[in-house]
Amino acid sequence: MENKIVSPNPHLHSRNSTASLMRDVIIALAPAMLLCVLCYGWSAIMILALSAGFCVLIEWAIAKWMMRQPSLFCPSAAALTGLLLALNMPPTTPWWTVLIGSIVAIGVAKMSFGGMGQNVFNPAITGRVFLLVSFPQQLTTWDIPKGFIGGLDAVSGPTLLSQAKLDGAASVANVDLLKSFLLNPGGSMGEISGLALLIGFVYLLCRKVVKPWIPLSIFLTVVLVSSIFHLCNPAAYTGPVFNLVAGGLILGACFMATDYVTSPMSDWGGVIFGVGLGFIVMMIRYFGSYPEGVSFAILIMNMTVPLIDRAFHRKKYGYGRA
Amino acid sequence: MSKLTFPIGGIHPQDAKFSRGCATEVLPLPPVVYVSMAQHLGAPAVPCVAAGDNVKVGTVIGEPAGFISAYVHSPVSGTVKSVGPRKDMLGNNVTHVEITVEGDEWEEGIDRTPDIVSEIPTDRNAVLEKIKMGGVVGLGGATFPAHVKLNPAPGSKADCILINGSECEPYLTSDHRIMIERPAEIIIGAAIMQMVLGGCRCVIAIEDNKPEAIASMKAALADLDYKNMEIAVLKKKYPQGGEKQLIDAVLKRQVRSGALPISVGAVVQNVATALAVYEAVQKNKPLITNTMTITGDLLPASGQHNYLFRIGMPLSFIAEQAGGVPDYAAKIVSGGPMMGKAVANLDASAVKGTSSLLYLSREATKRKEEGHCIRCAKCADSCPMGLEPFLINRLYKAGDLAGMEKASAQDCIECGCCQYSCPANIPLVDNLRMAKGQVMAEIKNRRNNGK
Repeated sequence: MENKIVSPNPHLHSRNSTASLMRDVIIALAPAMLLCVLCYGWSAIMILALSAGFCVLIEWAIAKWMMRQPSLFCPSAAALTGLLLALNMPPTTPWWTVLIGSIVAIGVAKMSFGGMGQNVFNPAITGRVFLLVSFPQQLTTWDIPKGFIGGLDAVSGPTLLSQAKLDGAASVANVDLLKSFLLNPGGSMGEISGLALLIGFVYLLCRKVVKPWIPLSIFLTVVLVSSIFHLCNPAAYTGPVFNLVAGGLILGACFMATDYVTSPMSDWGGVIFGVGLGFIVMMIRYFGSYPEGVSFAILIMNMTVPLIDRAFHRKKYGYGRA
Repeated sequence: MSKLTFPIGGIHPQDAKFSRGCATEVLPLPPVVYVSMAQHLGAPAVPCVAAGDNVKVGTVIGEPAGFISAYVHSPVSGTVKSVGPRKDMLGNNVTHVEITVEGDEWEEGIDRTPDIVSEIPTDRNAVLEKIKMGGVVGLGGATFPAHVKLNPAPGSKADCILINGSECEPYLTSDHRIMIERPAEIIIGAAIMQMVLGGCRCVIAIEDNKPEAIASMKAALADLDYKNMEIAVLKKKYPQGGEKQLIDAVLKRQVRSGALPISVGAVVQNVATALAVYEAVQKNKPLITNTMTITGDLLPASGQHNYLFRIGMPLSFIAEQAGGVPDYAAKIVSGGPMMGKAVANLDASAVKGTSSLLYLSREATKRKEEGHCIRCAKCADSCPMGLEPFLINRLYKAGDLAGMEKASAQDCIECGCCQYSCPANIPLVDNLRMAKGQVMAEIKNRRNNGK
């Protein structure tokens, strides 16, 4: 009977780990990243690798040397932040911009709040927004670098959203949205293909890594708000399908708004979070000075999470029904 | 009939019922048994024999010491060697009666024939007395004295008795085996309890991962043709066999926080308890035997067993009969891997509620280093009581007693789902158990001061 473990129940564990969950999200991003590499070639590889590498390195250094709490270092989580940050940049972003973005994402948004699990704002989005307002030139240059596959006949130019902002909704009325959904070179890297992102998201749903309520409520709200405006004045306001497909909505809704740390804990809280997020996205797209509002909407809704968590709890057993 | 399940939370651990095909074997008698006086929930029994007394199988050796207590009978024939404290499975000192085994002589009046007695007696009080005198306790885990549960306080009435054959814990197969091997006896036991409760509806609930048991029980029920009795098939989901979850799954009713199942008209008894009731009432055989599983994650098929054991048998003796404790075992669990207890003392003896010896490897059972909460909410999603373990854990660490009560720490059933699911390996159940204890003490305190 010597050397036997004696500890309280439960005696089994699911073998889920933070690292395995983060790995699943990285796997879910693989189709989109693969398309980026095919379409943008070495530029995409460089930005993805640099961003993930910087983030891992910065998190390791801060956890070890500044916070002196090495257990806060989670390579897969830091790498995921780095990859998401990379997908929020155009494929032509210079390396130093990537570095600054990584420092802000990991150093400021994540570690200065206490690291893993403690941050209020989504690190990758914070990094992106910091870059967007500090280096708008680098973040909104939509040139398409030479990729590994040819014949894309993609032309560099304004994104659909900025075109709609500059020239009015009518100018994008005849855009082939199905094509944009399938393959859309010429925006942030993560906007390359809504389909690839959704495939990844379905993988996450199947693996039960995330639940669909936040993205669903974002999409429904975007559809609802844009339908109302579009029906009232189609010349001034873009339509629902356009708003679903254009810009970073799918990336933001499926991969950034669903970040565990910065989204509500309850399903209904998630729905409120998603509705608010979708509404703010549409308000910025229609009335804001930026063409795209997903990043800002996520940051704004991140701030409401503590309040939402206070207001929304699960339905407990034995309190409702007799 | 569609498959039933409880609506909130739950998990799907690996089934691991490796011993499901092993027919129940009867263990030989050990040279000596140590019969615990604390084999049930409530006050320990008071020994009523002294060293030197001769006892037979079925002789009363312990008498109940209060309303919630139970008789204890000698499982063997022989001479009482000593009465005194001895360490139980967890290492606590408990009064035991040590009996040297001599032969196998049974008390007169115990019917040892295999004949099935299917005629249900009609005298409710006589049956209750027999269940009480037989020392029958709930064998689903809590070992609550059966005669107390079957005799609801005046004013409350049962309209359904649920016979729990879900055996939702991974690894365990003893209930599965008795449902296959002794279905008629279980059903008669159920019908007896149904009579005691005034002829209410009776539902025998079995998880769908036990098709052989479902078939066997259905066939036996068709033969016996009792009225107002049915078999319900449940989805495989842990903790389907939790009392409150089972009531919700089958009856769509929820027991209010702090209340007993009888408050919603339900009484839940395990299939093994039904079998014990049958034996006590129809065969005059007190509860001195039960079925247990010997299994483990790396145990070869030859080491897997289901045993009919007598209470008081040393666990080490039982382990020896099954080939000894395997080398790989890092932890020995008695009960299921989710809610069972780690055995601290293998020299302790089996009790009425013993359901297994489960040998877990280091790989299967090792707790990993606690990480940082990433707010994934998997603990809350898996909680079958709809609690938020992450929140209670935080409130507990902050010492916020009022907050813990508001978050319903007192409703935790310690099923282990949250800790099982936690990717950060946070010992949620450890902390929730402490939080629950503190809140329960506070509630009790308030109630006493209020009076």
